Amino acid sequence: MTAQKAAALDVESLEAGYEPGLPIVRGASLQVQTGEIMAILGPNGAGKSTLVKAVVGLVPVSGGRVLLFGRDITRVAAHRMVFEGLAFVPQTENVFVNLSIAENLELAAALVKADRRERLDPVYAMFPDLARQRALRAGQLSGGQRQMLAVARALITRPRLLVLDEPSAGLSPKLVAQVFDKLREVRASGVTVLLVEQNVKAALALADRAAVLVEGCERIVASSAELLGDERIAALYLGRHTGQQTRKEPH
Amino acid sequence: MLQIIADGLIIGSVISLGAIGLSLTLSIVRFSNFSHGELLGWGGYFALTALATFSAIAPGATAPLGPFSFGWALLGALLLAAALAALLALLLDTVLFKRLRRQGAITLVIASFGSALALRNLLLFWQGGVPQYYSQNLQIAIPFLPRSVWGGLRATPDQLFVLALTLVTVTGLHLFLRHSTLGRSMRATAINPNLARVAGIDPERVLRATWIIGGMLAAVAGVFAGITVQLRPTMGEDLLLPLFAAVILGGIGSVWGAVLGGFIVGLAESASVSIVGAEYRAAAAFVVLILILLVRPNGLFGEKG
Repeated sequence: MTAQKAAALDVESLEAGYEPGLPIVRGASLQVQTGEIMAILGPNGAGKSTLVKAVVGLVPVSGGRVLLFGRDITRVAAHRMVFEGLAFVPQTENVFVNLSIAENLELAAALVKADRRERLDPVYAMFPDLARQRALRAGQLSGGQRQMLAVARALITRPRLLVLDEPSAGLSPKLVAQVFDKLREVRASGVTVLLVEQNVKAALALADRAAVLVEGCERIVASSAELLGDERIAALYLGRHTGQQTRKEPH
Repeated sequence: MLQIIADGLIIGSVISLGAIGLSLTLSIVRFSNFSHGELLGWGGYFALTALATFSAIAPGATAPLGPFSFGWALLGALLLAAALAALLALLLDTVLFKRLRRQGAITLVIASFGSALALRNLLLFWQGGVPQYYSQNLQIAIPFLPRSVWGGLRATPDQLFVLALTLVTVTGLHLFLRHSTLGRSMRATAINPNLARVAGIDPERVLRATWIIGGMLAAVAGVFAGITVQLRPTMGEDLLLPLFAAVILGGIGSVWGAVLGGFIVGLAESASVSIVGAEYRAAAAFVVLILILLVRPNGLFGEKG
């Protein structure tokens, strides 16, 4: 039997929710291939954020499993995920506002017991704006700068998979373009990226593939190019039923 | 006038050290711990018991150090009391608060009321109700300024020791929170516990550190209350409301806020004793609290919501 190369992330029939017996994610399955950028799309309340929070250990999982590069991380505590090679950038409040930029990044390096200079220098090189203002309190940063700091903080841990929850939320189109450019750089450095997005157009322009989540379950998984021409996307976002069969990848 | 300020700073030292632990518990463990005052009382009596033990083992260690009323034995007892109070705080968390954490803050607050009652009465049962002292040596206050200058200024060496050690302790804690990984993790958890978790911070480790630091500082405050006033099993209850006033005044979660709040409450108490009488002492602290909150609802150093 030949060993098959494991996906970066393999979510199998995942069920998760905040209250016992009330799952928000209902049997979702998806695979993120190593080195790709994958987007999770879907209407409000589809369970996109809950899905990624369940993957990173912030929301209790009641069924199914999550494999990271073939390793089962379903029951791994959220604070151990950075040691598994998974970093998460929440949608809001994603930096420690009472710490300076430098303190945010130094803390991230110290927590994974890494050499501070060795981890910080490349990240400062990648984010020169942050390097220039490193003594500034994170709470004083603008929305776009905070998002950059949040990504930088995650990269300090040298993740193999970077998960982001709506990185474009609250940002102007110009700032969204800057953040997404940075994510392209992150991918180019060898990090697999999974992001939840409301901004469908921007997300499909960035991602290689996307999964559309509806009512806690993936309804369509396809390449961005395919989805850009798919009429069902609009129907799903508007909550209309077209009567068409949607494609679901086999588990 | 100057004497009122000096007395206020001494009272404020005890309140500040107690308030720091309470503030950390509020911001990191996220509930109002009404049993925190009892840690001051237990800390004070742990030191008294340790002092009695040291005196029996090495009577020479109780000989007064220079101008102070106490010897090396009390300093050793202070360290031991801090360690024991930290253990007591951890024990309380393990047997009570940790089990109730999922039930929410209200359950924890009610549990802390219950544990305060239990701890206070256990202390009364163990030590009796008669006030006790670390030393029977009388101290003469040193005149620093004559009465002709703003009413004069006098302080005992013990009082100066308490004030100096408070500042050293607070500075040490500030450096710990500012520069150590654990200290930064505590600040990070206080502001955003979920982000702290995904950033790799072990929440249980931070909670343990919070209880240990809170317990140790409470013990030091209790010993200072014993040095400058006296030890009473009900001292925790008496200090609880000033501690809360100091935390709210300074802004929840801020160490320097708790220190400044403690000194302001101490000054208000000291001034009320001289101006309107000792019976209004507690009320004075709350008048200042209300006045400051009218101007700054988040306290002096509090983050805006």
